Parts: sequence; structure tokens; C-alpha cells
Amino acid sequence: MTETAADTTRTGGVVPTALEAAVTTTDHLRIGRAWLASGALLLVASLVAGLLVSVERMDLTGMAVFGDVDSLFRFWSAYRVGLVLLVVVPVFVGLATAVVPLQVGASSIVFPRAAALGFWVWALGAAFTVAGFVIDGGLGTPGAVSRTDALALTLLGLLMVIGGICCATVCILTTIVAGRTAGMNLSRVPLFAWSVLVAGSIWLVTLPVLAANTVLIYVDLTGRSAVAFGVEDTIWGQLSWAFSHPQVYAFALPLVGIAGDIVPVAARRRHGNHRALLVLTALIGVLSFGAYAQAAFDIGTPIREQAIFVVEAFLIVPLVLLVLVGLVDVLRRGVGSRRTRMPAPLYLSVLSVLFLLDGTVLGALRAVAPLDLLDRSTTGAQFTFTIGAALLAAMAGTLWWGDLIVGRVVPQGFGLASALAVAVGIVLIAVPDTISGFMGLADFTGGDLVGAGNPGSGVDVLNTVALVGSAHLLVGALGWLVTGVLRLRGARSLADPWGGHTLEWSTSPVEVTSESPLLDATVEAGA
Amino acid sequence: MLTTGFKLWFGSCAAALSAAVFAGYTSGGTETGPISLGWKGGVGNHVTYVLFVTAAAVFGLLGIIAIAFRDADSESVAEVLGVDTAPPAQTQVGSSIWPVLGALGVATLVIGLVVSSALFVVGLLVLVAVSLEWTMNNWSERATGDPEVNRELRERLLRPIEIPILALVGIGVLVLAMSRVLLASSVNGAVLVAGVVGVCVFGAAFLFSRRPNIPRRVVSTVLIVSCVAVLAAGIVAAATGEREFHQQGGGSGGDHVEVGE
Repeated sequence: MTETAADTTRTGGVVPTALEAAVTTTDHLRIGRAWLASGALLLVASLVAGLLVSVERMDLTGMAVFGDVDSLFRFWSAYRVGLVLLVVVPVFVGLATAVVPLQVGASSIVFPRAAALGFWVWALGAAFTVAGFVIDGGLGTPGAVSRTDALALTLLGLLMVIGGICCATVCILTTIVAGRTAGMNLSRVPLFAWSVLVAGSIWLVTLPVLAANTVLIYVDLTGRSAVAFGVEDTIWGQLSWAFSHPQVYAFALPLVGIAGDIVPVAARRRHGNHRALLVLTALIGVLSFGAYAQAAFDIGTPIREQAIFVVEAFLIVPLVLLVLVGLVDVLRRGVGSRRTRMPAPLYLSVLSVLFLLDGTVLGALRAVAPLDLLDRSTTGAQFTFTIGAALLAAMAGTLWWGDLIVGRVVPQGFGLASALAVAVGIVLIAVPDTISGFMGLADFTGGDLVGAGNPGSGVDVLNTVALVGSAHLLVGALGWLVTGVLRLRGARSLADPWGGHTLEWSTSPVEVTSESPLLDATVEAGA
Repeated sequence: MLTTGFKLWFGSCAAALSAAVFAGYTSGGTETGPISLGWKGGVGNHVTYVLFVTAAAVFGLLGIIAIAFRDADSESVAEVLGVDTAPPAQTQVGSSIWPVLGALGVATLVIGLVVSSALFVVGLLVLVAVSLEWTMNNWSERATGDPEVNRELRERLLRPIEIPILALVGIGVLVLAMSRVLLASSVNGAVLVAGVVGVCVFGAAFLFSRRPNIPRRVVSTVLIVSCVAVLAAGIVAAATGEREFHQQGGGSGGDHVEVGE
């Protein structure tokens, strides 16, 4: 562990209080914990919004929960934006901030103060974004129910969120590129660090585009009509590319690295081809670049009907399938030799890759023009599978590396039960939405009350199932939060609870000399 | 020549250019359009093409900067310092208040954009101050090889500026907050508030002077809580607005007194 004692040289020898230490820390483990805790809290908030939307979908003609379509849309978009930019990405950033420096043998994260700045800017931006959504802002249509100043607050909050994530990502990526220990070249880094390098690079070239979209909308909203870009009424239309195929895969990509690091250690067998997994992860990353797929700026042939969009949608499926096959192969070889029970994060990480595969398959189906699924609820199903997969992997990651990050243990059973509740929730939401999409249900059902289903269409029954799924998801998220709290009160952890022998578990400086450092120590020890 | 920086940035540049050409041809570009940057023919989807070409330009520029300044080149670092091997790239840094203050500056700026231009200016000033402090901190940490000397160097340089400015800002903010509270209260209420606050200040000062062994932490906690309370009251009072004032006295040239109800 690299957690350092509070620096008292700058405070004239006075030991800082717990609050001072928390606010002024530049320790990567503490910053990582702050990201994780904030992400877990905002997950619950996002899922409450999702649950309310699911309840409203049961009877859209009455609008008993929100009162009007604009408010329903506000919470519907809050759910998607929240899950991606306030939950999944921050949780991955938190895990990476805490674990990646240890994985590559760095003494700390590079630019630790900038890493702290990234967290605080994101946290305050998240607070503004949530406040904007709550006080009649969000990403809806100005002048209807939404207030212009609240809309502006949401947009500026989003800009801060993006800025904070980018700032933290730069620190993590620089650590991987420039902070590695002697002998650890990029082909030797653990898969999680590699997947964060790939995903972070994609975030850095796409999130600024999303920020530019946001600035355009903000200028349109608050500027004079002479400088209007003409997109004021389609705020969500201009931002939605970041929350659907293919960009959504970029946000979920670190899950490949989490599974790639957990499975071989848990199964006590190394990857058949470590470098192949590195290449596959990089290819998935390249294909997940989605900043070009902006339907709001379509001129001529719609972007989502062009070859690049369709080819990308289909190419990504076999790549994820190959990753899954590689992991299953490791499991197959290792499961016979293992005498003890498989750890909980193993199941969750493999399940997350399976869900990602489901998401990519739905993404490919959406690109088939005759099926006409682009604006159907299949989009929501794809989002649920992909972001749900990321969420599941994040839970697996916190169970796996939690001992290292917090220094205390937690019973794995409760964490596993929470994550399984989330997994069931994902299936119960995504499968009905997939079927509803094929039956013609629009992605945002509130905008199309006719397409929202009727008692005879079967969609209403599916909406009921999705509501149960939303409740499952919320229960699972609460369970995850409780697991985190229980961990804070747990017993002190062992230095290497899994027998992993990868660098993050090492307590002394290491020089990497092997071509395949993963599991070498375990294999040499005959485990 | 092929340093790490060169390989990273120019590799990324080549990849982005290839992606632009690929995207151009697969989105309706003409035969020569995508490879001539649109000079001879169409480039297909403009948004896609421009994004990729811009990315390539940025990567290329970063590559040139990396080469020009011999960045990411450990041999050149060692050469400049006159040592055999480059020193560790990372040095441990201690806790720092500037990240959170910088974030608060950004937050103030954002609130200012939504609510009032005065807050926007305050946010800007906070950001400028944080930038200067942060820069000076980084400079002082590398000034000499002795951390203690570095700390003293920083304090000798910045304390004479920091303390008067902070004192002025602190007093100004508290006075402004108190004035908002007094203006929002009724006439008798304002007298009462001023009296109670005065007695509290006097009482606390008397207590601290009589008991010099009160822990420093208790004193600072009391001061912080009191300041935050005054500030919060000032914000609430400012949001509530001033009480109504009625002019007393007669004609245009006569004396008049403003009283509140």
C-alpha cells in the first residue's frame, strides 16, 4: 500500500484533522475512495430517477408521478446521463486512480494535485447537474416546463463533470505511460491498466466533443438570437450520441480489464495469449469512438445509415466474443485444478462481459435498417446491458481490490448477493425493452403516447417486468452501498488476499523481468 | 530520434489521419477528396472528417512540441543535469488545499454565470489566485534540494502578500454579510442582532484571553463555525432582500431620514 501519512511539514507541525486531511489529500488511494463513494451515492440517486420513470411508464395517460411529459423526459434523461457520467465513469476513474499506479509499479499517481482537482471539479459539477435536474432544468425544452436558468445550471454542471473526468483521466494515463516501473513495458501492464489506457484515450478525444456540444447549447440558450446555432429545442438530440452505440462501449471498456485481471488469478491459470487480449481491448476501444455519430448534424445520408456506423456495429461483436472465449478458456483450464471455492468477483466479472456481448449484439441489430430499431426501446435495452455490464464489473472490481483500497475486509457473500440483484435487474429491464422495441415502442415513450403501448399490445406487461427490474437494480445498488459501509468497519485485510502476485499486491519495489508477469509468481510457486 | 513521445504522438497522428480517410471514403467522399483534405472533391461526412483531421493535427502538434523540447526523453534529462541516469520523475507531494479551492473557484464561476456577474468575477479572482499559489508552490518545491528551505522560501515570498489580502477579503466578506443581515432585519431587530453579535464577539474574546490553555483546535473551530454562521446568515438575508424603507421629511430640498418598518 502506498497510503502515506499526512504531511505535516506544510502545516507547521500541526497534525491536520480528519476533515482537513480528506479535503486536502493528494494520496491516490484516498482520492480513489472519494470517487467510489460519490459514485455509489449517485448510483442510488440515478436509479431512483429510473424507478420513477418505470412507474410512470405503467400509465402514461395519467402522468400520476411527474404530471407532464417534459418532467418525465427530464428524469428519463437524468437517469441515462447520471448512470454514465455520474456513476459508471467516475467509479472506473476511482478504481483506476487507486489501483493503476500500484499495478504499474509507480510510487503514486502522476500529478496527484491535478488528480485531486479532477475529483473536486467533478464532485461540484455533479452537485450542480443533479440540482439542475431537480429544479426544473435538465436537458428538456426551454420554455415548456423547464426554467432557462436551471437548464443553464445543468449544462454548466455537465461541463464541470466532463472537465473533472478529463483531468483525472490525464493523470491516470500519464501514470501508465510515464510512471511504470523498470522493465514494465506497455505489453506487460496488467489488463485493467491497459483497458483504462485505451478507454481513457477514447474518453479524452470524445468527451471534449460532448463538452463542445454542451457549450453550443449553452450559447444558444443564453446568447442573443443572432448567434443561435438552432439547436436549442433539441438539447438531448445533440447530446444523445454519447449515451448510445458506439460511444457507450467506450465508457464500459474497463470492464474487459477488470475481468481480464480477476479471471486468471481466480482460476490459477494465466491467459492463453496476453498480448492478444491487449490487441482485442485496443480494437474494441477504437471501434467505440462515437463522437462522429451525431444525428443532430445529419446532412444528406443520415450518419446512422452510413457504412462506417454499420460496419463498426458489427465488427465489435466478434471482438467482445473473442474476449469472452479467452476468459472462458482460462476458466476451463483452471477450474479443475482449483481446490477452493471460486471467489465472488470472478462470477460477476465474467457475467459483465456476457452482458457487454448482449449489448453489442443489440447494437448490431440496431444498425440493420429494415428492422427500424434506431429510435425504439431497443436503444434503452442496449444502454441497460452495456452500462449494466460496466456497473457489474465495477462491483466486481470493488470486491476484488476493496481490501487494497480500503485496507479492510468485507464478507464476500453480501457483495455477491447485491451484485446478483443488480444482474437480475439488468436482465429484467433490458429483455422487455428489447422485445418492446421489436413491437414498435419508442425509446422515450413519453414523447409518443400512442407507441407506448396499450392493454392489448403486450407492452404494458413488459413495462411491468421492467419496473420489477428497476426495483431489483435499486435494491442491489443499496446493497453495494451497504457493503462499502460494512467494509469501513471490517477487520484489517491481508496484504495479498487472493494470492494474485500481480504488482498491486506487492509491498516492496519490483522490477519486472518476465515477458508475462501476470501469475508468474503463482505458477512458479506451483499453486 | 524515435523517442517515446515521438512514437506516441506521431503514431496517434497517423492513426487519426487513416481514420479520417477511411471515414471519408465510407461516407460518400469522392476519389480524391478524403486524401486531399477536400481540395479535390468531397470528403463525405464533414463532422466525422473534420473531427479526425483535427485530432491528427493536435497529435502532430504535440509530437512536434515533444521533439522540440526533448520531452519524454530521459537521456536528455540526464544530459542536462550532468548525471548518468535521470532522477526519479515523480516526487512525493504532501496535502494541498489548492485543488479544492480551485474547484470552488470553478464552481463560483459557474454559479456566477447563472446567477450574477459579480459572482462570476469573484470566481475568476479565486481561480487567478489559486493558479498563482499553485505555480509558486510548484516552483518552490524544486527551488533547492532541501524541503525545509523550500518551504521557508515560499513563505518568505508569499506570506507578506497572502496575509493582508486574506485579511482584507475576510473582513470585507464578514462586514458585507453582517450589513445584509442588518438591512434585512426590522429596525429593532437590527439593533438586537448587532447587540447580540457584539456581545458574542466580546464574550468569546474575553474567554479566550482568560483561558490561554484552551486547545488551539477548539479556538479555530469556534472561529470557523462563527464565520460560516455569519456568512450563511448573510446569504439568506441577501436572498430575502432588504426591509422596506420610507422617506421621512418633506420637500425636495429638505432634510430627509430613511427609516424602516
